[in-house]
Amino acid sequence: MKDYGLDLHCQMILEDYRSNLESYELLQGVVKDLLGDALKKNSMAITALESRIKTEDSLAGKLELKGAKYMTVDDITDIVGARVITFYTDDVDKIAAIAENLFEIDWENSVDKRKMHEVDSFGYNSLHYVCRIPEKTYSDPEHPELNTIRFEVQMRTTLQHMWANMNHDTGYKSNVEIPSEYMRTLNRLAGMLELADDEFSRIRTSINDYRRKVSELVSSGRFEDVNLNGDTWRNYLSLRPFDKLTKRIAAINQAEIQHATAMPYLEIFRNLFEYKTLGDVENCLKEYGEDAYQLAIHQIGGTDIDIITDTVALQDLCIVVILENGGGEAGLMKMFETLGGKTEYNRQRSRRIIDQASRLAFMNKKK
Amino acid sequence: MEVTIKQDGNKQDVVLNGRIDTTNADQFQRDIECLMEGDKPEICIDCSGMEYTSSQGLRMFLMLQKSVMARGGSLVLKGMQSQVKEVFDITGFSSIINIQ
Repeated sequence: MKDYGLDLHCQMILEDYRSNLESYELLQGVVKDLLGDALKKNSMAITALESRIKTEDSLAGKLELKGAKYMTVDDITDIVGARVITFYTDDVDKIAAIAENLFEIDWENSVDKRKMHEVDSFGYNSLHYVCRIPEKTYSDPEHPELNTIRFEVQMRTTLQHMWANMNHDTGYKSNVEIPSEYMRTLNRLAGMLELADDEFSRIRTSINDYRRKVSELVSSGRFEDVNLNGDTWRNYLSLRPFDKLTKRIAAINQAEIQHATAMPYLEIFRNLFEYKTLGDVENCLKEYGEDAYQLAIHQIGGTDIDIITDTVALQDLCIVVILENGGGEAGLMKMFETLGGKTEYNRQRSRRIIDQASRLAFMNKKK
Repeated sequence: MEVTIKQDGNKQDVVLNGRIDTTNADQFQRDIECLMEGDKPEICIDCSGMEYTSSQGLRMFLMLQKSVMARGGSLVLKGMQSQVKEVFDITGFSSIINIQ
């Protein structure tokens, strides 16, 4: 056994710690599992869930500094610890609510460091709960001590975590006193990270508000007011705007329809056609839908094909837009390249389609 | 229709020759049944000798693709002749199956 030069009282506490180690190991596993399951159940996205048992060296250091404060090893509440690191500040409070549901909180010894700063000071921001596992949450008849040993759950954001680690690494618990200018710089950083944390939360709230607004606009059919982007395109597709044309095409050969993702077509509309709003896509469907159907009849009408995917309508629509607007072979090649990458075959395919389309009315009508 | 399968661990190299049509689609399904087993399969099908596929053939490829995806694997069709590739294109199957 390592001799830390502790007084008799602290040595006894250290002895108790050693004999309790197996229970600490068990408790650490149970706490981590309980938290992990609850986070999953609540669909909480987090950066990390960590747990640890205080090392003997660390405990000895603590006892050396403030051993007289503790009557027994059970008074040291952070021997077993878990830490939940979140993306957003708002999530710290949600995790806290989850911990409150799972565990019995020792409020007297729990600390919200976020509320401890004066208006003009910045530094460690974290929420620490001292907890016990109540029997209603978990019990093991062979290890009743798992319901009595207290442990600590720390909850903080990724940026708070980063600052805490840097601060720990540079000064806290070290024997060398850090010059005040460095401490000041660290505290300035804490202030900056607190601002950044608030901004990240604000951005998330704004994005969620924007998504809700877009969803409402799309549902209301005011497509001309909705910018074309990944979110709005996904929302629009959920209304199944190309279903009618797809079903018409399928009816040519009484084909069954299989689902395929239409997300790649966003790039065609946005970058190739330079459409700005969902209204532009709607207008395109109205203007070119019939010609796309004519192309489909020509392509599959004379075959025995009785299975298609639900992107055929979109594919034919885009082909028709390109051809009717003079995009020709280069335009089609660009489209196929966007959808499936650059291949030699794209040229052959483009030429074949141009040849097929040249016999159709829409390619021969006078503008 | 002739199907040759060479297996090395989870890698399966398949060579298809001939036509897949209503007369041999059932046989084709039986031939490729062994590709529907195992974790994370990496299936590469050489289609250069495939002269034609009917809708039944497309269904088999789709079934294989779904099975492979469900098992966390990959399916690639290679060397397809242009008249066969056209069938995949006009039906939209080129966008759900990796064709190289």
